[in-house]
Amino acid sequence: MKQPILVTEHLSHVYMQGTPMEHRALDDVSIQIDRGECIAIIGHTGSGKSTLIQHFNGLMRPQSGSVIINGMNVSDPKLDVKALRRQVGLVFQNPEDQIFEKLVGDDVAYGPFKMGLPIEEVRRRVEWAMELVGLSFEEMKDRPTFALSGGQKRKVALAGVLSLQPKILVLDEPTAGLDPRSRNELLERIKRLNTEERLTVIFVSHNMEEVAHLADRVYVMANGRAVCEGTPRSIFSNQELLHTHHIGTPESVDILYRLRAEGYQVDPGAYSVDEAADQIAHLIGR
Amino acid sequence: MSAEFELTRNITIGQYLPTGSVIHRLDPRYKVTAFVIMILAIAVCNTYLGNLFALAVCLVMFRLSHIPLHYGISGVKPAVPFIIILAIMQLLFYGEIARGGTIYFQYGFVTISSEVIRLVVVSAMRFVEVIFLSSVLTLSTSTTELTHGMERLLGPLEKVKFPVHAFALIITIAIRFVPTFAMEMEKMMKAQASRGADFGTGEWWRIVKRTKDMFPIIIPLFNVALSRAEDLILAMEARCYTPGAARTRYAHYRATPKDFAAVGICMILAIVMLIIPW
Repeated sequence: MKQPILVTEHLSHVYMQGTPMEHRALDDVSIQIDRGECIAIIGHTGSGKSTLIQHFNGLMRPQSGSVIINGMNVSDPKLDVKALRRQVGLVFQNPEDQIFEKLVGDDVAYGPFKMGLPIEEVRRRVEWAMELVGLSFEEMKDRPTFALSGGQKRKVALAGVLSLQPKILVLDEPTAGLDPRSRNELLERIKRLNTEERLTVIFVSHNMEEVAHLADRVYVMANGRAVCEGTPRSIFSNQELLHTHHIGTPESVDILYRLRAEGYQVDPGAYSVDEAADQIAHLIGR
Repeated sequence: MSAEFELTRNITIGQYLPTGSVIHRLDPRYKVTAFVIMILAIAVCNTYLGNLFALAVCLVMFRLSHIPLHYGISGVKPAVPFIIILAIMQLLFYGEIARGGTIYFQYGFVTISSEVIRLVVVSAMRFVEVIFLSSVLTLSTSTTELTHGMERLLGPLEKVKFPVHAFALIITIAIRFVPTFAMEMEKMMKAQASRGADFGTGEWWRIVKRTKDMFPIIIPLFNVALSRAEDLILAMEARCYTPGAARTRYAHYRATPKDFAAVGICMILAIVMLIIPW
């Protein structure tokens, strides 16, 4: 049943090797991600998350260790990187910066167009990708890109990657800098890509509510190492771990921990807003 | 291959290597003065021995400043094609100008004499020396120090209404943003490559195609640059920056005997370079 789609083994990376500014960004990282999973990668700034995900579509090649993605070995110098990048869609932080075409539709079409697809196929993919992120194709395709709101721009950028029809979608802090409404909507879209379009989703996040809400499994990175792995439930109920690696918790987990510290019988592992509310309601005897 | 997008690594301008050596701790005003003296001497010196001496001085400076020599060499690398083209040009066309010496070869307008060869070798050496020296200066001096130093040295020009401060500010900002934009560009290249872009893979004669390939990077980069400029203006105004107003300075430089000594040593070195015969 479980089919690994992305495996890294003993992956290490050193920046500026051989200079006084040498910096070990990844240190013996071994992770395994299965087809159809939704994975969160969390960790402090500078813990190596961004470096790690750049290995997933061949922007970086392993210095030591290996990365195998859907049977493709990223270390292989003869690897067809373009084919790899069609399988793994990588969405960078603030992806709206990368929009360069005058019209929304043209920008989304850039990737498929570069693949050399026939025009009808490009059009079909652009429509598919735009509808998927919640932009009406008919209404939006001829809008100028500079007149969009921040949330819309981000959706356009996301559609620009989705139009490659990747099997794995990798997102670096997808909701950073968005207002709460755009954030929630984008999260819903990402969730649906995972559940309905069967995309394997890997996302980096500092927002623990997001992690708790979306992820099937979580990898915790610290100092370039993958220090821990597990379901959000198991991660958030391990207070010691959270503390040593300076990882925040969702607010509900916070509340439950505080109640427990005060001597109440609560389970911080049951932290979804409903569960937490039930526990608290139980405590105050309703 | 893994360094495909590591642009920032290749840019040494504006990079500062804090090793805390004697040269790092010199007063920037005197350091820049000493640097100017050396550059002038190198520009004038046209003997083999003098240039060998200058090259040796450069190596000693690397040593003194605790900066690995490969920083200097990586600065020379991109200039190599240029040095070669220059050498060929001089070899072919300078027979008329650099007269004298023994003539080894003559055909039509091409005259290769010992003087021409001297010119070729000396200019190549000059190139390397100047790159080495400027590497030492920029790697051992933070950009703030450097512009403070230059501003002070240009100070007298204020008397003739030259906007010294504005000029220094422009230079600071320009240098400061080189690594920033290199980083932005790196990010943009990666983002577009993730969408299937490729850069510089077309045949070199298809200039239009290759230029078009750069649009997805250049256009966003302009956008980012403009918005950064706006942010910078706001940040400066929020801190009450007024163009043209007199400003006090946080860093006060006081010259020590060491600084005078540095300038003195450089002067002596420069004179030695110029009086070495042959």
